[in-house]
Amino acid sequence: MTQTRRGCPVSHTEYGEDSELYGHYALIDAEREASRFHFNDTRPRGFWMVQRYEDVLEGFQKHDVWTTSARSALNPESGIALLPQDLNGQDHAKLRRVLNPFFSPAAVKRTESLAHERCVELIEEVRPKGRCDFVAEFAIRYPTDLFLALLGLPVSDGDFFLPWSETLFQGFFGGDPAETAEAKRKILEYFDTAVNERRAAPRDPKTDMVSRLIEARIDGEPLTQDDILTICMTLMLAGLDTTRSALGYMFTHLATHEDDRRGIIDRPERVPAAVEEFLRLYPLVFQAGREVHEDTDFHGVPLAKGDVVWLGIASANRDPRKYPDPDRFVLGREGVNQNLAFGAGPHRCLGMHLARLELAVVLREWHARIPDYRVEPGVRLTERGGQLTMPTLPLEWEV
Amino acid sequence: MRLSIDADRCMGHGRCYSMAEGLLSDDEEGFVAERGRVIEVPAELLADAREAAAACPEGAIALLDSASAADA
Ligand code: SF4
Repeated sequence: MTQTRRGCPVSHTEYGEDSELYGHYALIDAEREASRFHFNDTRPRGFWMVQRYEDVLEGFQKHDVWTTSARSALNPESGIALLPQDLNGQDHAKLRRVLNPFFSPAAVKRTESLAHERCVELIEEVRPKGRCDFVAEFAIRYPTDLFLALLGLPVSDGDFFLPWSETLFQGFFGGDPAETAEAKRKILEYFDTAVNERRAAPRDPKTDMVSRLIEARIDGEPLTQDDILTICMTLMLAGLDTTRSALGYMFTHLATHEDDRRGIIDRPERVPAAVEEFLRLYPLVFQAGREVHEDTDFHGVPLAKGDVVWLGIASANRDPRKYPDPDRFVLGREGVNQNLAFGAGPHRCLGMHLARLELAVVLREWHARIPDYRVEPGVRLTERGGQLTMPTLPLEWEV
Repeated sequence: MRLSIDADRCMGHGRCYSMAEGLLSDDEEGFVAERGRVIEVPAELLADAREAAAACPEGAIALLDSASAADA
């Protein structure tokens, strides 16, 4: 007998576990096509799965009653504060106004030469070897270095920084709480030192983010030290794992689709369109959570105050109602710019312009230097659940 | 043809001005600078205007046919 909850079919699909590569997308596709909405009971609070493009977009835009008090449907009580994400309404808008200028297209352009430089250095480091674990040796180092540089911190700190951010990240999806707390403490301590150094010797707040956070006023009040540290940590969590994951999926695709790779090698001007289509096809943040703050009826599903909602980003991006033949990579696809990889509504990803730039730089520079490569034969590729990432991607090429 | 950008709906995705550089521009927060306005679209930028409207994830951009707007 089919179970239902408040009229919705009940799903027992577990999205937090590791799987074969692309396993999660297959689950998502199957559920979206089985029913417009589901109630998923794999978590103590359970969550309502909103899955189709139009519904997910509408969900993001209902920010006044569906708030970010739950940011992930899989772990609504992560215990890690994030700013500005945790804020809603006017408080959120005010802090975004402080941060947005650092992430605007114009500001991001200023980072381009740095991204380019760092990218080329890292590629040249692996190129003579004829092989590398693309994830560990390139895809995570690149955004980590850029993040540190963006904050005005030494790029060499990446080496000890990285394990902390990994541990902390696991905490979002139910990792060991004690380890998570310890990693969080170390990161905050590191940022605390950096912020205090800036307080003693401020730089130009137009180009130095920490200096900007120190001098910023909201309703006449400076940001507290704690809030500044939380913001730094949020930017780190938001920018590193995501970029690494996106690169892993993009390069797996290109290593296994000769025609698509040729298309980029021969016509580098197609890179921005390719980035957009990759974001649509492989959105690694496959869901966002929201908490319902008012009893509402959502297209026939009666939601109660306190319910958790799953906004299915990957589900929307691969919805055949929006994108015909959604599992195919199609350059210049209609509506690709409307994909929800970065969310929508006021909480849309702050770093989306930076992310697009970082990814475009890699596609251009890598293919100019290592145009032909393949996944090492015999390797079984997997992906981590919760927020998709590939633990490893061994690539090889002729030297 | 005219193009209008709803200031309340615009969330600063920046897809519109990346598609239609000759028509729209960005402000320093990454929002489209023309939001909240109705602008006249020169004939040679019609295709750009259509692309910009179709690129906005928030549905903030509307194209208004000048003739029918005047009739209404
Ligand atoms: S694409 Fe839409 S939301 Fe983004 S800046 Fe343009 S009008 Fe605003």
